[in-house]
Amino acid sequence: MSFSVVEPARQPVAEWQFPKPFGWRAVLIAALAFLLLIVTGHRVEMDRAAILTGQAVAAATGMGGQSQVATGLSSIATKLFPLQIDERMDASRIQNLDLNRLPFLAHIETETTRTQTLNPQTFKLDTVVQRKQVLVQRFGYVFTVLWKLVETIEIALWGTVLAILVGLPLAFLSARNLIANRWINLACRTVVSLFRAVPELISALFLVLAYGFGPIAGVLALAIHSTGFLGKFYAEDIENTDPKAQEALEAIGTNKLKVFRFAILPQVMPQYIAYTLYILDRNVRMATVIGLVGAGGIGQELKGRYDLFNYGHVGTILVAIFILVLGLDQIAVRLRRAYL
Amino acid sequence: MLTLEAVEKRYPDGTVALANVTFKVPKGQLCVILGPSGAGKSTLLRCVNGLAQPSAGLVRIDGVPVDRLSLRNIRSSVGMIHQSFNLVARSSVATNVIAGALPRVAALPALFGIFPKIYKRKACELIGQVGLSELHLKKRVSELSGGQQQRVGIARAFMLDPRIVLADEPVASLDPQTSADILALLAREARMRGTTVLCSLHQIELATAFADRIVAVRAGRLVFDGPPQALTPEAIESIYGSGNITRFPSPLPSGARS
Repeated sequence: MSFSVVEPARQPVAEWQFPKPFGWRAVLIAALAFLLLIVTGHRVEMDRAAILTGQAVAAATGMGGQSQVATGLSSIATKLFPLQIDERMDASRIQNLDLNRLPFLAHIETETTRTQTLNPQTFKLDTVVQRKQVLVQRFGYVFTVLWKLVETIEIALWGTVLAILVGLPLAFLSARNLIANRWINLACRTVVSLFRAVPELISALFLVLAYGFGPIAGVLALAIHSTGFLGKFYAEDIENTDPKAQEALEAIGTNKLKVFRFAILPQVMPQYIAYTLYILDRNVRMATVIGLVGAGGIGQELKGRYDLFNYGHVGTILVAIFILVLGLDQIAVRLRRAYL
Repeated sequence: MLTLEAVEKRYPDGTVALANVTFKVPKGQLCVILGPSGAGKSTLLRCVNGLAQPSAGLVRIDGVPVDRLSLRNIRSSVGMIHQSFNLVARSSVATNVIAGALPRVAALPALFGIFPKIYKRKACELIGQVGLSELHLKKRVSELSGGQQQRVGIARAFMLDPRIVLADEPVASLDPQTSADILALLAREARMRGTTVLCSLHQIELATAFADRIVAVRAGRLVFDGPPQALTPEAIESIYGSGNITRFPSPLPSGARS
């Protein structure tokens, strides 16, 4: 039997070349990348953005000068505030309003409006005093927004649930280490990529045409896109698992489904929880956006109020979304800590 | 009875892992396979349960040839113990052991982690027999030591009362004392049930201590077949080559067979 003997070093150790951290090729690539950033940065007006932002900062800190950005932002801010808290409704438009039995937290205010109209007979300006009763519901609009937020979360939740239900089998079939048929792998991967390629806002636009305004379109739009995400992430994790446990179960003749449940799922569970939480978080944020095209939730309310120039209402909605996203982030952090 | 008839394994790149290997292992025998690294020990074991398909020749278990048709049935009656344990580190000891019964349980309840009572009792019995306690049931495998992990592996291999247990270097990653303990456990469990064991090893002293019979392969060929007593220094030289023996002290301890 022959033994492989380590060959003695031909050169003295003092003359060895220690590998360099990077060569001229890396420098060239870095230079090219820098050039690309310069060119594309100019094309997307990043230079102008820097100047405008600088002007705005200068104006805001009192260093003088006029800034179109600063005035724009401040006019938005003044329009959004004060936030709309109460719900005000013309009492005469509400049918069967019993003034003696008003809803909880509601009271009647009398609004007086004076309008000056030109009297056609006397050619004088007359002041017409109009009184109308307004039903004011304290925190009424806050409750409306909260209710819409709940609807938004429900849309996001169901979008995520459907995405898990469709994404998991697709991931199972597209993982090469579980299903050894290349055509099935390829077919499932293609479907998942197609799903991922459809932006929610676009699919929601068409789904609203198909299913009408409301949450159905929202749920389906979110489900399609997040199936694309989860299907890809789930499959990649299955392929990255340690194959040893899988081999042990396959060696005794366990079928693929049980192998997945007992050898693979325990290994990928922490990542699956992390991905799914991220997708849920993302779906809540996206659910607010797709409402803009009429797919239900807080976005639909936002779009309606924006179109009616009710900027106080818009402000309330934006603050509510901000608080929701913040709260959701906290919950996700806690869940991750508990389970990972 | 396990029979290998002129088994040959040739990989697509032309390397011959096994060449004309023929031998019989009677029921209940603990047969150790020795041989240098890359001699074809693992391939030999994997041909028995179809993890590797022989290029030529036939493997029979109780007269039934191991082929595509019989593979499903045969695999559930052949347990396997692995060098790196091949357990699910994040799962509990109980789950890992009962997973050994998966081929015989209904799929739908199993997906929810529900197993028949017989298998749950069987798993507890085996966990007890391999020297673990009720306290270990819920523990994750990753919390156990290497020796304890291989105990879990042995318990899993015996879940379905296999006719044959294949052990692919079961103690290669364990210290000498633990190795001896684990092999003693494997030998005891197998003798108790009359299970045939085919076990590849690197440690000659462990082989002579626990084997009923030693088979050695070198470069894919059978070079030794006999009882442990027949494993003379000359025989060891014929298995591992003369280089080993002259360069390193003999691994044979005095009076190895206990």
